[in-house]
Amino acid sequence: MSLELKIEGIVIIVGNYGSGKTEVAINLAANRKLAGVDVRMADLDLINPYFRTREARESLARIGVEVVIPPEKYFHADLPILSPTVAGMIKNPSRLTILDAGGNDAGVAVLAALADSLGKQSLKMLQVINPFRPFTETVEGCLKIKEEIEKAAKIQMTGLIGNANLLNDTTLEHIEEGYEFVSKLARQSGLDLEFITVPADLFTCLDLKKFSCPVLSIKRQLVPPWKQPAKLV
Amino acid sequence: MGKKVLMKGNEAIGEAAIRAGCLNYFAYPITPQSEVAEYLSHRMPEVGGVFLQAESEVAVAYMIYGAAGAGARVFTTSSSPGISLMSEGLSYIAGAQLPAVFVNIVRGGPGLGGILPSQGDYFQATKGGGHGDYHLLVMAPESVQEAADMMMRAFPLAEKYRNPVIILGDGLIGQMMEPVEFHDHLRTDPVNNNHWATNGMQFRNSSKPNIVKSLFLDPDELNENNLILKAKYERMKKEDILFEPYNMDGPYQKLIVSYGTMSRVCKTAIDNLKVKGIEVGMIRPQTLFPFPETAVFEAAAKESCKAVISIELSMGQMVEDVQRCVQGLRPVHWYGECGGNVPTPEKVMDVVTSL
Repeated sequence: MSLELKIEGIVIIVGNYGSGKTEVAINLAANRKLAGVDVRMADLDLINPYFRTREARESLARIGVEVVIPPEKYFHADLPILSPTVAGMIKNPSRLTILDAGGNDAGVAVLAALADSLGKQSLKMLQVINPFRPFTETVEGCLKIKEEIEKAAKIQMTGLIGNANLLNDTTLEHIEEGYEFVSKLARQSGLDLEFITVPADLFTCLDLKKFSCPVLSIKRQLVPPWKQPAKLV
Repeated sequence: MGKKVLMKGNEAIGEAAIRAGCLNYFAYPITPQSEVAEYLSHRMPEVGGVFLQAESEVAVAYMIYGAAGAGARVFTTSSSPGISLMSEGLSYIAGAQLPAVFVNIVRGGPGLGGILPSQGDYFQATKGGGHGDYHLLVMAPESVQEAADMMMRAFPLAEKYRNPVIILGDGLIGQMMEPVEFHDHLRTDPVNNNHWATNGMQFRNSSKPNIVKSLFLDPDELNENNLILKAKYERMKKEDILFEPYNMDGPYQKLIVSYGTMSRVCKTAIDNLKVKGIEVGMIRPQTLFPFPETAVFEAAAKESCKAVISIELSMGQMVEDVQRCVQGLRPVHWYGECGGNVPTPEKVMDVVTSL
């Protein structure tokens, strides 16, 4: 039995480009909702043109997670659009409110626009780490991105999410290597390791005793057109 | 092979260029290609290379012309409207016989179109785009790994022919993430270009300077230059056609011709149909110019084959080349979409079985 995920409150998911923020955010939302927690989520990714939270809105709606996204007519616009509903959901948060930000420092600049609403709330800002991605394969690289994000968001990082993976090529060795990496990063940065992720098909093969943090199973939602997203339930 | 990493196609394209030994990159950002510039803005300074953002794509094309003319390995990336702007320069570069690599991460058109994946620039890439009698060598990857591999091959090919090579990837190739490994040994020194590059008189054997130009006012000279170009294109057809046959051993009744990420959808459809006992073969051109003419003809001529279909993210462009290759031997159909919605495997199965 893995340690239970107990994340609540306002959680901002950040990280470098392609670290897996959106996939983590979607799966975290689904996991908590299925555990009986009231969850709302906002897509704040204003910079990524493809593979955004809005692609998974129907699967999330089916299990009762409300996703705040830009108006449908602007889905494919190459424009940064922030729905005014987001400020409202921060002022009146659900038990778990997930804000899925865009990549790097550029992707969190949007948080400054929400500063008035965010300033009055206690919140977590979690950095997603995949050491198999460029620029975050070293502790120094992760710390540099952490500082850049903190500066742009004007919010201090509070924790880490280990998301070591090579998509379909992920093995148990990658998970263990990634866990060691993110544990080292947690020690050096003084940040909490909130949880790590593992692809759903590897979850049952995992020796959970090896990990001193909760493990979130990832059912992949953001897939290319020749693949089917995994069922969330 | 090095360590496997997870990369966006756009990042892998940038990294592959560096690994291939290209340290000169001039570009202007445009969705869905901008991550190449973003990535190289970090990486080029790390390896002592140059990334210069130009004031427009028109300027980029002539920066490429200048650098290639001086004998440097150079490349750029853009997306459809940007490539249109570069097309005048591409014609000049082809006319002046300069090696350079272009990447088009294609978005929907015409005009500003949209930012989602498309293969609507097939004609532009394979039939010209700019003015005059010239061709680009066109390569079309279907995965992030293949995009990286093709980038590394593109530079030696451009130098072999002294001709621009273009990588034609639809928006998904740039945006999707896949594991990728980089070959360690493809880095090659640029070929000896002392006989044509304007790289300094210290490299000349005589006092005669090299001149890089596409202007030939003498009609005989201009005709001669075009004959040289034509001979190169004929040589490409003999030596550098690439294609992948898929499920071609069985008694297929239908033959698909498809490229890029559209062929990934077709592969899933072919696998699903095989489970149902329906055999469908596919030729996936990896070079669009030179086109795998003989392979398509022979695949269509197979006795079991009753019909051929070109499946593309455009309103029927490659289908004209497929028709040309099949030479009326079999009926040739087309199916495609070009708004940015990539057809599902189920849709492809329906289309193919209803032929």
